[in-house]
Amino acid sequence: MMETLGLLGHGLFVVLTPENLLLCLLGAVFGTLIGVLPGLGPVATISLLMPITFSLDPIGAIIMLSGIYYGAQYGGSTTAILVNIPGESTSVVTAIDGYKMAQQGRAGDALAIAAIGSFIAGCFGTLIIAFAGPPLAKVAQQFTSPEYFSLMVFGLVAAVVLANGSLISALAMIFLGLLLGMVGMDVNTGAARMTFGLIELSDGISFVAMALGLFGVAEVICNLEDAATRGLNSSRIGRIWPTRDVLKSARGAIARGTLLGSLFGILPGGGATMASFSSYALEKRVAKDRSRFGRGAIEGVAGPEAANNAAAQTSFIPLLTMGLPTSATMALMIGALTLHGIAPGPNVIVRQPDLFWGLIVSMFVGNVMLVIINLPMIGLWVKLLQIPYRLLFLFIVVISAIGVYSVNNSPFDIYLMIGFGLLGYLLRKFNAEPAPMLMGFVLGPMLEENFRRAMLTSRGDLMIFVERPISLGLLIISVLLIISIALPSVRAGREDVFQE
Amino acid sequence: MKKITGAILAAAMLTSGAAYAQAWPAKTITLVVPYAPGGYTDSVGRITAQFLEKELGQTVVVENKAGAGGIVGSDYVAKSAADGYTLCMCSVGAISVAPVAQKVEYDPLTSFTPISIVSEIPQTVIVNPNVPVNTIEEFVAYAKEHPGELDYGSSGAGGLMHFAVQLFASKTGTDLVHIPFGGGAPATAAVVSGEVDFTFTNMTDALPQLEANTVKGLAVTSEERSKFLPDLPTINETVVPGFSAVSWNGVMAPAGLPQEAVARLSDALKKMAADEGVIEAMGRVGASTVFITPEEYSKRLADEVAQWTATLEEIK
Repeated sequence: MMETLGLLGHGLFVVLTPENLLLCLLGAVFGTLIGVLPGLGPVATISLLMPITFSLDPIGAIIMLSGIYYGAQYGGSTTAILVNIPGESTSVVTAIDGYKMAQQGRAGDALAIAAIGSFIAGCFGTLIIAFAGPPLAKVAQQFTSPEYFSLMVFGLVAAVVLANGSLISALAMIFLGLLLGMVGMDVNTGAARMTFGLIELSDGISFVAMALGLFGVAEVICNLEDAATRGLNSSRIGRIWPTRDVLKSARGAIARGTLLGSLFGILPGGGATMASFSSYALEKRVAKDRSRFGRGAIEGVAGPEAANNAAAQTSFIPLLTMGLPTSATMALMIGALTLHGIAPGPNVIVRQPDLFWGLIVSMFVGNVMLVIINLPMIGLWVKLLQIPYRLLFLFIVVISAIGVYSVNNSPFDIYLMIGFGLLGYLLRKFNAEPAPMLMGFVLGPMLEENFRRAMLTSRGDLMIFVERPISLGLLIISVLLIISIALPSVRAGREDVFQE
Repeated sequence: MKKITGAILAAAMLTSGAAYAQAWPAKTITLVVPYAPGGYTDSVGRITAQFLEKELGQTVVVENKAGAGGIVGSDYVAKSAADGYTLCMCSVGAISVAPVAQKVEYDPLTSFTPISIVSEIPQTVIVNPNVPVNTIEEFVAYAKEHPGELDYGSSGAGGLMHFAVQLFASKTGTDLVHIPFGGGAPATAAVVSGEVDFTFTNMTDALPQLEANTVKGLAVTSEERSKFLPDLPTINETVVPGFSAVSWNGVMAPAGLPQEAVARLSDALKKMAADEGVIEAMGRVGASTVFITPEEYSKRLADEVAQWTATLEEIK
């Protein structure tokens, strides 16, 4: 403990040079900016900026690149809340209640709570890296294919809870998501599935294209259809700073989201996404009045936002302590470090203490900078809603198209986005919610891949899922969750019958 | 617009090769990297682009076109105009291995103008510390005593990591179980955690783990020992003479690139292979610089395609 504090002091010494502070600020500003612009994600930005960092020293470079990454998590919620466009997979759930809040003139509340929750979670996540990084990395290693499979089962069950409308339509949407997730090359055999011979589909459907289409483009079509919003944006602005009551109701959600996020973040593959989805599901389960969800519940913004920021920080743990990336962005970080002559691996903490502790301290500094940048910006963002919608929608569509294109430099993804925009519009007409569909889409391929891998390593023995304690635990929780979902709806069904 | 410029260029080429040679490169060259930014090939691509920019006096832009293990980007280049303004930082996976294992729309031997391989990196045989072997010979003996028990991770079916182990298995007469992962890094991570027993992984991924003793290194897959791990024997000198499975990156253009541009590029890449700065930069990502002539490159591709076609036959 004392030793860690000493090392943090050393890290502070590393960071408190004008150059590194400036780089940290640059990273935070860039991150916020690309987070706000829909579709433009940290992967595209970091890869663009990486060549510029070659002239910097490695510590400064990694401080800036990390700042872009966690900064983007702050910014990602902004468009989700204001115009219903989640820029990252992690802000999909933020859009559900956040956008409703904005429509009710509570955009300021939502944005402020998102920023405050992100700040608290970011700092807590960083503390976890500093004090418990290496042991947590060992825990993450206990997660092999059977554990992942059970985790994905749990995630899919939780996706049902995400839906705020009918159970049947939620199930249908999850299965539609699962089906769309199957598109692409099969990892085990290399065979192309449902690609219609299109090479662009061989890696599957682009998540960004799908999310921007289902949410952003569909929202634009619906708004244009409604003559009232076409001319002038109807959203009221309301106050910018949240009241004590709002802060009080968000407090618990932020704490729970932070814990969930810190845990999920250390798991490779979609940890942050799982974290924000699970946090939403959890908040809905613990809430006294579940009907508020989907209609602008502050907990539905506070929890997931805290969760994804905590996860963004702790996802550095496998990278820094083991040299193993948990996501595409982390793989980029490894690339950046290697190009600077640092091989990220189990020895990096001992070999490069300046880098490790400097980076951790820079995360605290960065989080403080982010909250300072973001809170005053809220006033500005909310004013954006005053722009007449006939102008705003053009901006939304163009930026979305650029963002989608920037992911793979592929025009095909823009067509995909348009296609999903139309699908999203139809789904709205049928009152079907896209969030469970996205959850199925994200989790389905991981579910399949890990199931098949578990079957390969166990030589086809299904018992592997119940023999391993973590896997068994997750399956038991999933069954309990199914029961708790099924019971009330059975009861409600009966009441309906009696009423007739 | 592009088409018109292309047509004018083509006309110019027909009338005078010399005029083309003077003109090329007259505008920005795009170096397509068929993999995601930040990866190994991307690094090699950026190092190469920087050098070519200096050497050719024209801007060289790296464009990442990732997808399907490099097939999407390679296919894009194969279908581009052979005017010298679209080049590929191709790699062994999508060029020599994938066309054998799956259906692609380009032919590795006829759809491209190979210029030169620029870098090579051997694979390293790493095993989980719990596997009771310390040398590659012991490994083969152990695998023979326990047929069908040793699992290996790969970056996916039909990739170099998969085929190299299959080639090894057929040459040593061992039965090894393939567990595909979504990429090289997770496959390496699975050896560290013990989910699989071993893998033939990229040296860049292996080095930090070897250094920390989280895995045991047994051999390298190149014909000669690697300067980065001089103590590790090769498979070639121990259990399978003639064994070679290296990961290379090379510059290729669409088929039919005018001879003048081929020569100019080849000269530039020859200088690059000897450049101190480039050698150092490549060394940082674990790669060694290489130069071969376009003819040698063509022959190498033919040999590799033949080798992997034979391996695929044996797997079937």
